[in-house]
Formats: sequence, C-alpha cells, structure tokens
Amino acid sequence: MFGNIINSIRGWFSDMSERSKLVNSFNIAARDAYVSGIVTTYLKASISRGDSSYRHQHSHWLNSGFRVAIFNGRSLTKNELVQIGATLMTDQALVRKMVVLGFDTLEVFGEHDEYGLKWPLKDVLLLGGF
Amino acid sequence: MINKFIDAIWMLVAILEFLIIIYLIVFKSRKGVDSKLKKDVMENDVDFNNLINSAFNSDKIWDQLRKKCHPDRFGGDEKKTKIAGEIQAEINKNKNNVKVLQELKLRAENELGIKI
Repeated sequence: MFGNIINSIRGWFSDMSERSKLVNSFNIAARDAYVSGIVTTYLKASISRGDSSYRHQHSHWLNSGFRVAIFNGRSLTKNELVQIGATLMTDQALVRKMVVLGFDTLEVFGEHDEYGLKWPLKDVLLLGGF
Repeated sequence: MINKFIDAIWMLVAILEFLIIIYLIVFKSRKGVDSKLKKDVMENDVDFNNLINSAFNSDKIWDQLRKKCHPDRFGGDEKKTKIAGEIQAEINKNKNNVKVLQELKLRAENELGIKI
C-alpha cells in the first residue's frame, strides 16, 4: 500500500514534468519558426481544462486539454484553423504522447479565445490498438 | 487556552489538507498507463519544427506537387506513369508533412524529370 502511494506520487510528478516538457518543446519550436520567418503566425501552447465529453481512459482528472493559441493580428479563417489542427492531429507521435500524458482534447483558439475549434484525441487513436 | 484551541484547529486543517492531497493523487489521478507502453511512446521524438512549418506551409507545396506529379501527365511513358502513381499516393498520404513532401519533390524531379 505504502509502495503504491510512493509510486503514484512519483508517477504524478513525472507526468507533470513530461507534460510541461511537451508544451515547452512546442513553444520553443513555434517561437523559433516565427522569429526566423518560416511562419508568419505565432503559436503558443498551454494546458487547459479540456472538454469533459472527450474523456478517455487515460485522461488527466483536471487539466486534459492541449490548447494552441494563435497570435496573428487578424482573425484566422475556419480553414486555417482546421489546417493547423489537422496537421497536429496527423502526427501520430505527438497524438500518442498527448494521450499517454493524459490529454484528451486538442484546442486551437484565437488570441483572446473568442473563436476556435477543438478535436477529441480519442477519435484519431484507438486506445485498444496500442 | 484560546491559543491552544486555535493551534488544534490549524493542525486539524493541515491534516485534512494532507489527506485530501493524498486522496487526489492516489485515487483521483488517472489510471496508470502501462509503463512499457509509456516508455515506448515517450522515446519517439516529435519533430516540432516540421510540425509548425507544416501547419502553415504544407498546403501550398502539396497542391503544387499534386498537379505536377499526376500520373495522367505521363500517359505515353509506362514507367513514369507507374512512378508518378507511387509518388501521388505518397503525396496524398503525407499532405500535412512538409519534410516528406520536400523529399517527394526531389524524387519527382529526379525520377520523372520535371521541374517543380
């Protein structure tokens, strides 16, 4: 029992660290791409509450959303939002990592959250197929 | 007397807080993912630079390749039609991956003799 508690606590801290690493890696790459002029839009990822209707068996109990905020100076069209989301969702390595780290919702939102789209990660990944 | 009572209340609050934290960590945290599976998944690196680039630039290159590498453009040459078909399938499979699309562009230029 005591060993289980220690393992749970250790696992919890390890997961928190990996989740932060994932978000930081995304933000560093997005910043570098923006600064070097590869893209004209600045993306910033963060952890959000997620959508409770998208929960799967590995969902984090509190913060299960991976939110990408777009800083562009103008409102992006729905097609542009779909393109960003679709690109992230087709990267199997990223989606698998997100699922394992307890994310269940991918959110792509505008600068002030006034518009955006979200995708359930469970739709693109059959958990039983792992 | 009052101080002791206040101390006891604070101690009780601290114990309750500790118990709530333990409860949340142990029972409310998500069910543990199989550690081997987790290790396998975490070992795969995500190419974020390609991902960000693809999110904004893959559409243009995909559209360009799709048109230039269409098998119908090589109707008279059976070998090139076959290669174009293979490339076309790869192009559609990797629509959102700039890195792969650029490799396919090079392959098309070399094997199909076209300038993109």
